[in-house]
Amino acid sequence: MTTIAKPIARPHGEEHEDPRQYLMHDPLPRGQMNAMVMESMHETSPIFWLITAVLAATVVFSLGYEWYILIMQGQGMAGVTRPDYWGVFLVNTVFWIGISHAGTFISAILRVLKVESRRPFTRAAELMTTFGLVQAGLSIFMHLGRVWLVYWMFPIPNQRTIWPDFHSPLMWDLMAITTYLLCSTMYLFLPLIPDLAMARDRTEGGWLKQFYKILALGFRGTEGEWKNLTTAMNIFAFAIIPVMFSVHTIVSWDFAMATRPGWNSTVFGPYFVIGALHSGMAAVAIVLFLLRSTMKHYKYFIRPEHFNTIGMLMLLVSMAWAYFYFNDYLVPWYGGDVWDKLFQEYAEKGPKAYLWYTMLTCNIAVPWLILWNRKWRETPWLLAIAGILINVGMYLERYIIIPVGVTINRMPFTWRQYEPRIEVPMTVGTFAFFLLLYMLASRLIPLIPVWEVQEGQEAHLIRKIGKAEISTLSDME
Amino acid sequence: MSEAITLLAMFEDIEPASEGVEKLQQLGLNDDDMNVISGIPVKHTILGRPAAITYVSRIGMFGAILGMFLGIFFIYGIPYFYPLLVGGQAIFPIPQGIIITFEMTMLGLMGFSFLGMFIDSGFPSYTPKEYTPEISDGKVALLFSCPVSEQEKFIDALKNAGAVTVAPAEARHL
Repeated sequence: MTTIAKPIARPHGEEHEDPRQYLMHDPLPRGQMNAMVMESMHETSPIFWLITAVLAATVVFSLGYEWYILIMQGQGMAGVTRPDYWGVFLVNTVFWIGISHAGTFISAILRVLKVESRRPFTRAAELMTTFGLVQAGLSIFMHLGRVWLVYWMFPIPNQRTIWPDFHSPLMWDLMAITTYLLCSTMYLFLPLIPDLAMARDRTEGGWLKQFYKILALGFRGTEGEWKNLTTAMNIFAFAIIPVMFSVHTIVSWDFAMATRPGWNSTVFGPYFVIGALHSGMAAVAIVLFLLRSTMKHYKYFIRPEHFNTIGMLMLLVSMAWAYFYFNDYLVPWYGGDVWDKLFQEYAEKGPKAYLWYTMLTCNIAVPWLILWNRKWRETPWLLAIAGILINVGMYLERYIIIPVGVTINRMPFTWRQYEPRIEVPMTVGTFAFFLLLYMLASRLIPLIPVWEVQEGQEAHLIRKIGKAEISTLSDME
Repeated sequence: MSEAITLLAMFEDIEPASEGVEKLQQLGLNDDDMNVISGIPVKHTILGRPAAITYVSRIGMFGAILGMFLGIFFIYGIPYFYPLLVGGQAIFPIPQGIIITFEMTMLGLMGFSFLGMFIDSGFPSYTPKEYTPEISDGKVALLFSCPVSEQEKFIDALKNAGAVTVAPAEARHL
């Protein structure tokens, strides 16, 4: 018998990849990168301002006028009534806090782990955190009703000499969200300082020059300034991660601390955190697609490799979400508590069952079918569609937990269908406000951290080993 | 030192700038009399310079301790001044105490680290400074003081190290 030797391996496309297709191996002079980023900020088309005007009008109507109506006429304008006192405003709060999580996750965790592909899109993600938290804050104020009494939650005695009760999960929420908003805003600002200094140097006169000059704080880039800045950034990168986890865990405790069917779950903390990352990651994909498609020169900075990174994270988080959801589903299903069973049956077979099936399709089937393939992950529009569908799924998940969850309680005579009313235009208002803030920010601050990109490019080299050109990284930090 | 002059040497890259630092050290210039200004952070070992001292982490730690005590006050001090019995819960509970104390500690740590960066760097500062916008475009600057009588010697040494220009530093509004 003769033995025919088989080839060890067939040449594979990936083995012949040119490292120069990656941003870190395709450097441009710093001055040119600066010019590209500044040009992308200052060159706007009439369509941009038309969209901005439409968004601004939507915000004035939906958040201004409708909120005025809500305040003047009371919460009766909303669909909330017994037993559904927690409606879409709280769905929006949880949803926007979830969106805000990806910014910190991507920026802080990838910075701590020194994942190099993070460099061009950390700021775009960090901005989502700040602007997402603004919407979360507004949404919870809408839910408060008498929003002018919000200071009753401050740690001061009010006119009735009552102090806030820090034993309540709602006060934990206030502390956690406030901490997260303040810290993530500071974390956004720190790496922005050198880029603001760059914008200051490249802007001639006018109010913009003053704007950059004030915000750049007099930064020059001396050794001491860099040392202080990088030390502070390192502290933030490590410290903000547990704060990020604590925020959504505490949000979950708003529900889990109640002995209500569907809520009273010990797995709610990590389940909410993963859910937040699921929607946040998907939102980053959408934002990156929009930036790459609409901003001049961004195709140089945001490349298929970055969509691949985000896509892999989305797939991983989707699997983790499925795991936690199954945990949260199985235990009450097996346990046999009548109220838990009723809640699950209502979600699966009740009048809102279509929400439950859509949620599972969008959160599990869509990412698993699309994101396993690298070529598809590297296709920006496809990743953006997956991102939109995942966010639809995650919004529905919060809807099922909150208004559908409060419907099924231990007093069946109170059960009713919750239908949002004034909540709908106000929800549209929060989305419009988020987009408006983002669009305005894209004209004012450099969304690409140019100094971080250059720092990465300085550290990367292509080395020839045998027949192949291999990417190597020097530890210069 | 006799009458001194401050000079600004511009380099295209980090490599010649580190050569320039070495030349200045060889000419007997003290490390405190020079500073490297760059558009990206450059590790002190790459430049052959002593590590810059920062107090940011110490200020941050102080903030963390302050925040921790504030958190302890919120969860234990407030019920002490105004006891409020809710649902049979303890007036001075430990689990809730952990949550509030954690949040306030982290807020203190990060808030004070942020402030520490301002304090230690002297930000904000809008007075005229020795700087040129070419730095944010990728050039590396070496700012140093030397005796007027010896400036030619220093200029020649830096040009030999690869400096593109060496000129008296001009303080300007940024």
